[in-house]
Amino acid sequence: MAEIQEYKCPCCGGAIAFDSTIQKMKCPFCDTEFEMETLAGYDSELKKEQADDMTWNTSAGRTWQDDEIDGLSVYICRSCGGEIVCDENTAATSCPFCGNPVVMMEKLSGDVKPDYVIPFQQDKKAAVAALKEHYAKKRLLPKIFKDENHIEEVKGVYVPFWLFDAQADANMRYRTTRVRTWSDSRYYYTETSHFLVSRGGNLAFEKVPADGSTKMPDDLMESIEPFDFSKMVDFQPGYLAGYMADKYDVNAQQSTQRVNERIRKSTEAAFDATVRGYATVRKETGSIQLHESRVKYALLPVWLLHTRWNNQDYLFAMNGQTGKMVGDLPLDKTAYKKWLFGLTGAIGAMLFLASYLIWML
Amino acid sequence: MKKIEKKFISVFFALFLLILSAFPVSAADDLVRVFDYADILSDSEEEDLLNKLDEISKLQQMDVAVVTVDSLEGKSAEAYADDFYDEYGYGFGEEGDGILFLLSMREREWHISTKGYAIAVFTDAGLDYIMEKVVVDLKAGEYASAFTTFADYCDDYITQAATGKPYDIDHLPNEPFPFFLFFVVCLVIAFVIALIATWIMKGKLKSVKSRPGADDYIKDGSMKLTKKNDLFLYRHIDRREKPKENESRNSSHSGGSTTHRSSSGATHGGRGGKF
Repeated sequence: MAEIQEYKCPCCGGAIAFDSTIQKMKCPFCDTEFEMETLAGYDSELKKEQADDMTWNTSAGRTWQDDEIDGLSVYICRSCGGEIVCDENTAATSCPFCGNPVVMMEKLSGDVKPDYVIPFQQDKKAAVAALKEHYAKKRLLPKIFKDENHIEEVKGVYVPFWLFDAQADANMRYRTTRVRTWSDSRYYYTETSHFLVSRGGNLAFEKVPADGSTKMPDDLMESIEPFDFSKMVDFQPGYLAGYMADKYDVNAQQSTQRVNERIRKSTEAAFDATVRGYATVRKETGSIQLHESRVKYALLPVWLLHTRWNNQDYLFAMNGQTGKMVGDLPLDKTAYKKWLFGLTGAIGAMLFLASYLIWML
Repeated sequence: MKKIEKKFISVFFALFLLILSAFPVSAADDLVRVFDYADILSDSEEEDLLNKLDEISKLQQMDVAVVTVDSLEGKSAEAYADDFYDEYGYGFGEEGDGILFLLSMREREWHISTKGYAIAVFTDAGLDYIMEKVVVDLKAGEYASAFTTFADYCDDYITQAATGKPYDIDHLPNEPFPFFLFFVVCLVIAFVIALIATWIMKGKLKSVKSRPGADDYIKDGSMKLTKKNDLFLYRHIDRREKPKENESRNSSHSGGSTTHRSSSGATHGGRGGKF
């Protein structure tokens, strides 16, 4: 006995039957007609579905050699708990994250050694200039904030980053429509054709960064991206001379969640862009599988300035390689109101006068 | 002495001529410009209206008259108004320039009859514009106010026509500037613009944003599309009936005044309607 194949209607989801009078499959619920091959193709597409697999091989970093550790020491901030690695000649007087001056010194003990480092390319002068520039041309920035600010206290910090490499295989399925309209003497016609669109393929991600420090807000670090990884070199303790380095306290595994989010978004966008020529596109499912995943531990250069104003913390960061400066600034509420009502009055008066003149003309 | 007397006489004569030119002698001078047969105006209203119409008529050299009747006595409003105008003998100059506003209470009809130069002064569109305002008062029973409005518009129209460009379809009198409404609207628009402007200024203070994707880290040219399948499933056709074209539409108005002949053979312009 032949196997009875039951199909579901792609239009309404009801069970579908063969209509012998029209020699086609016809849905008894919504009266839509289908070719036999269409339903078979639809069914096989639906069965191909795969689950997400976004797990990472998170072994990263190397172990320190004894002689390398000798020249390094660790400061621990008693206020925020930040751990700062310096070479022994660099005296850390205040915590770069919270500005607290109390720091304790300890010996660096066996820990994961970074794989790579991007050396600082922007010096302190450039950082101070960039911060001045950052304050400029902002009408709603409180004047006192600008004047009181100690922009000399910028500190160069190597921030720990996990760099994720992977090949992403993706399978996306969309329901799309195409619309055609025409008319005759009596009616307007709108024909909507429905399609099942599948896209599959892969793309490679290289060195997607995620910061490994709880002291560094993720959004702040993402804001100073991108870094130019072609200038990245193998880590040598010598690079730390004169700078401070944060020790990671978020491991690679914990960072994968955020990295997966970003990879998924970009992968979906890349495949969405290949679905063209339709009036509407609705994504049904999409799955991503990661292959050849690899994580590396790197120190990336960041100039940091922490400041407090009106009992609020402000943290500014500059990309130590490209010079990109970011950091949210406080809002001068009285200046804001002045501008809002001043502009309303000025524009209102102008509009009123203009409308009066146009009316009278 | 004689010299002074002569000078005095010449000055007096010149003054006399001046006064004479200010009040030109006219056939219409002793006409009555308000006939309230329907008795819908009080005595004082009637007197005020009469004074107003006399003043406008003399100043503008064009009769402006108002007639109210109980019934049209079987005539059409147009014929009644035209005949009243011709028979009573309104009109300045050779052409008989003037305008008459007839109101009949039983039929609740109004008609305006124009003649001579007034035909050019009061175009169809111009009269429609006046009556749009006047009919509101007529419907409310505010007859005195309706006639005053009518008289004021007539004055304005004649003055406008003297510039060579009477009010017509393409340029009607200016509505009074709605101060309060415009003030509120301008203020609201300005507030929205100011809100957007300050929002942009506020946005400059914010530079920390998380990045949604990882587009910067896609290896160049690494994307390979291995499967590309666009399967047609089904189609639906919707049909919508076209709206019926409105065939009884008037051809577009090109402005100006339409005229007709009255029973006496004179050419009249005008407009009529119900209230």
